[in-house]
Amino acid sequence: MDRLLALSNDLAFAVQQAGRAVFAVHARPRLPSTGVHWRPGLVVTANHTVRTDEGLTLIRPDGQSVAGALVGRDPARDLAVLRVEATDVPVAELGDSAAIHVGHMVLALGAGPRASWGVVSAIGAARARHEDGDLFSLDLTLYAGFSGGPLVDAQGRVVGINTSGISRQMQLAIPASVVSRTVDELVRHGRIAHGYLGVGTQPVRVPEAMRQQLGLAQELALIVVDVQAGSPAAEGLLIGDLVLSLDGEAITDPVELRRLLRAERIGRRITARVVRGGQAREVELTVGERPARSR
Amino acid sequence: MDLVALAAALRRVTVELTDTERAFGSGVVWDPDRVVTNAHVAAARPHVRVRRADGTSLDGSVLARDREADLALLHVPGLGLPAAAVGPADELRVGSLLVAVGHPFGVRGALTAGIVHAVGKIGRSERSWIIGDLRLGPGNSGGPLADALGRVVGINAMIVGGLALAIPASEVTRFVRAAG
Repeated sequence: MDRLLALSNDLAFAVQQAGRAVFAVHARPRLPSTGVHWRPGLVVTANHTVRTDEGLTLIRPDGQSVAGALVGRDPARDLAVLRVEATDVPVAELGDSAAIHVGHMVLALGAGPRASWGVVSAIGAARARHEDGDLFSLDLTLYAGFSGGPLVDAQGRVVGINTSGISRQMQLAIPASVVSRTVDELVRHGRIAHGYLGVGTQPVRVPEAMRQQLGLAQELALIVVDVQAGSPAAEGLLIGDLVLSLDGEAITDPVELRRLLRAERIGRRITARVVRGGQAREVELTVGERPARSR
Repeated sequence: MDLVALAAALRRVTVELTDTERAFGSGVVWDPDRVVTNAHVAAARPHVRVRRADGTSLDGSVLARDREADLALLHVPGLGLPAAAVGPADELRVGSLLVAVGHPFGVRGALTAGIVHAVGKIGRSERSWIIGDLRLGPGNSGGPLADALGRVVGINAMIVGGLALAIPASEVTRFVRAAG
């Protein structure tokens, strides 16, 4: 068969396939956004498009209206989960987001369906680094109302949720694996817990002399620039401490620190290896839960 | 057909419309001595210069113009180009490949590729358009929008919110037939 025609048919099929699980979400004035039927009765959309907690209306793929209830929000990942009665609407077929690479051809869908075509242009680009999985940067247009809609591979499988709400410059998608984790956590707890130390840090280069003296391999570490009173960090960290590792994992960047402070570490003792006054030492800390205010 | 062959075929049936000073749009060879373009491209001119892909130019006159439909038909004696293959726009589905050729920003014979963004009406308009997720610029107006087989399915007419709007070929056929 003609190659271009085959590609054209594949793309149209992918839109049709993925479009069966796509809802329009009316949760802000004027401009509806898009949502994906992720698990039976649960629709995922972009948090920034859900301006109200009540009176949410969704439009099913067949055009029928259905009421939605907010299950929970994850502002950090710009995701919100809504509950709907829609047992006869298929759930999205999820693809393996770890198999997505730069250059893969993808589609972004809006309710309707409407579609936009392009490629994955970067994964985990500088501004798109995330504590629990790198975001996809997309070379395609997210048209008005596309936020919360599916990123679809050439086989019609959903590999992420698109949003223009995280970055002004970049069109981004949150990988499906991260979305699934978020959905599970919001359904279980109604909120996303984040581990917390209460420390402000900046990456610094470890001086060569210090590396030699202490026999360190790593070139970068975090310097403590702020310790919040009464926080878990106040137990053992001081401003000026150089944090090399937590529980044996080297830390060279504040994003890595946040990545290590996952919810499952809350309440657990961890060992920080720090340099203080030219001496390496180990400090015991208990991971707390990040207060709602500072999320 | 690959995209290179498709582009070459589409360029052969795409002309550039100019007056004595500048280029102002594109046109599609509809039959051997007639060219279709947008009414807003032909504007109120009775005559235009028609530049073929090989660089040679001929004089053309405006046979018919429908501002409502935004279509115009030009008569170009001696044009001697094969007519564009025309395809049905109603076979397009959301996601189907689209290819446009035109002269955006004075770049002659520029090719852009995309997909069908949506089908049906747009906003409150009663008209149906081919709505493309495809990059167009000023100078694409009046030029061809083709499917994956290189068949002209529409005439590019507008850019709205970054989307390409084209007049379906069926409407163009009706207009040309009515113009005689």
